[in-house]
Amino acid sequence: MAFSTTVSQRKHIKRKAPRGFLKRVFKRQKPHLRLETRGDLLVHLNCLLFVHRLAEETRMNAFENKCGVIKKEHVQAAAKVILKKSRG
Amino acid sequence: MAEAMADSYDGDSEPTTRTLLRRVLDTADTRTPRRRRSARVGAQKALLEPPSSRRLSSPTKMNVRRRSHRVRSFGRLAHVHTSGNVEEQTPRTLLKNILLTAPESSIMRPESVVKPVPTPQVVQSSRRDSSRGSLELQLPELEPSTTLALGLLAPGRRKQRLRLSVFQQGMDQGLPLSQEPRGNASASSLTSSLNLTFATPLQPQSVQRPGLARRPPTHRAVDVGAFLQDLRDTSLALASPGDSLRTPVATLPTDTVLEDTQPFSQPLVGRSPSGYHSLPCLSHTEVEDAERAISHRTQSSGPRLQNHNPGKPAQLLAGKAKKVDAHAVSFPNNSSTISGEDGVEPLQDGVDEEAEERMEESLSVSEVMDTTGTQGSVRTEKSKRHREMSEAVEAKEPEGSSGDEDISGRTASPELASSTTEFLQARQPQFLEPALPPRTAVLSSEPLKPLPTRLPPRARTPGPRPRQDPHKTGLSHYVKLFSFYAKMPMEKKALEMVEKCLDKYFQHLCDDLEVFAAHAGRKTVKPEDLELLMRRQGLVNDQVSLHVLVERYLPLEYRQLLIPCAFSGNSVFPAQ
Repeated sequence: MAFSTTVSQRKHIKRKAPRGFLKRVFKRQKPHLRLETRGDLLVHLNCLLFVHRLAEETRMNAFENKCGVIKKEHVQAAAKVILKKSRG
Repeated sequence: MAEAMADSYDGDSEPTTRTLLRRVLDTADTRTPRRRRSARVGAQKALLEPPSSRRLSSPTKMNVRRRSHRVRSFGRLAHVHTSGNVEEQTPRTLLKNILLTAPESSIMRPESVVKPVPTPQVVQSSRRDSSRGSLELQLPELEPSTTLALGLLAPGRRKQRLRLSVFQQGMDQGLPLSQEPRGNASASSLTSSLNLTFATPLQPQSVQRPGLARRPPTHRAVDVGAFLQDLRDTSLALASPGDSLRTPVATLPTDTVLEDTQPFSQPLVGRSPSGYHSLPCLSHTEVEDAERAISHRTQSSGPRLQNHNPGKPAQLLAGKAKKVDAHAVSFPNNSSTISGEDGVEPLQDGVDEEAEERMEESLSVSEVMDTTGTQGSVRTEKSKRHREMSEAVEAKEPEGSSGDEDISGRTASPELASSTTEFLQARQPQFLEPALPPRTAVLSSEPLKPLPTRLPPRARTPGPRPRQDPHKTGLSHYVKLFSFYAKMPMEKKALEMVEKCLDKYFQHLCDDLEVFAAHAGRKTVKPEDLELLMRRQGLVNDQVSLHVLVERYLPLEYRQLLIPCAFSGNSVFPAQ
């Protein structure tokens, strides 16, 4: 894996996908639909990419504001852009 | 000869593994090639065989065995030394190894064995007396030993008692009495030496069969004691100012110390009304303790507050209560829950009255927390009684998150105080309240338990929790990933914002997937729908395929599940 192979030494990010959580969320939202077994892994992949993009955008916003700490406003602005992009 | 015999038998007098092994080896000698090889042994064999035949009639096989072992063991030792390696795991080889590994002091020495004339007795005697070592002496010994060697390997090698009897029999039969005393002496020494060596033979067996070797189980000492001690120490430090006050109240200072960890030393109001007065000082410490031991707070906060209240209801407690509020949320809940369970109402009445005044401020804080944790039943009971108190408290409460809750929480706390004593008896692990002197015995047990058992009763909101918490915990996984990708410190509010974004994202995701599946005329969302979604999102395009993304971001286990791979036998996994 090119991107996320190295984990920050400070904290270990577990690479497991919360498959039960994803299935539950989908069931709660669309009880009349079914999600396949491998589908939730791709959903997890999609979430990873979404979070990745969101974090990048947020970081850029924080840099633009010359802030060393990510604030709520950065996140909000970034979310608007990224959610619009991921609408599909 | 007699001496030699005696000596040889002396060693056998106490049947040892070595002797048994020797016998066995001797008996089985004829088959081994080693035997044939060594010339030295041949001489021994010649000597051994006739006597063995003669001795066949000997009553005890043990005797024969012993003697033959003796004779053979010498030869064996020679062989063993020469060959030195055990090709096969046979009893013979094992015995050989045992004999080898066992210290030679017991019976024979290699040098003596090497002698052309087999002198097993000599070796043994040489150990004791270097001067010994005549063939003639050995011969008579060899003879009986050979006969003995014909016996089977004694299953009771270790039966020293039997050996002794056998030896004595042998002694009676073949050995002159004169030798007996010396033999006995030597036997004792020999046996002792043999006994000493007895232990060593076990090792080679284990070496040969490592599976049989047993490790002493390593048991980790339970650190509960140390843990509790540490708790006590910390609580002691906290409670030091209040110790003077507490001592009259609490007979066992240790308990109080232990309880200090618990935010609420079980004041059990009913117990020591005087203690309440002394408690105000304690309250400070207790509050601090409560702050420290958040986990324990739930329980102690309630009763402590009560205790504190009697002394200095307002100022100190108020200030601390506020601090404790955050911490004590859990406490009152626990305390209330506990009290509710026991249902100690009669005590509560008296306590309530007192507690009302005192608890007002502190309770307000704790109660808010209590309310969250208190059980419904408890609340109802307490609410009736504590309504009066709650009203007064509510007026003062800065936080009145929920009036009912506060009331219930308050009721819980006074109840806790009164019922603490009872709870302690009923539920030892639950409460630790330093202020309960009579409870010391009970309390002492509590400090041990509450810490580890505190966690379960931390139910804040019985109602909405099941729905929200799992959802939050699932989302927290992605929130952590967000903070990891951001590589920058983030505010708490920013993280909450991220949570909201994720919620919205999931909603959009599900809607899109539904549309795609419906477009394909399906009711099940398949990976193709996901791929289409990612394509529309712009993540997957002609340059970057889905498999590339899978390989980049997902761990190997998921990659194997998602990307079809060809295996041997013309099979593809996962099947398409």
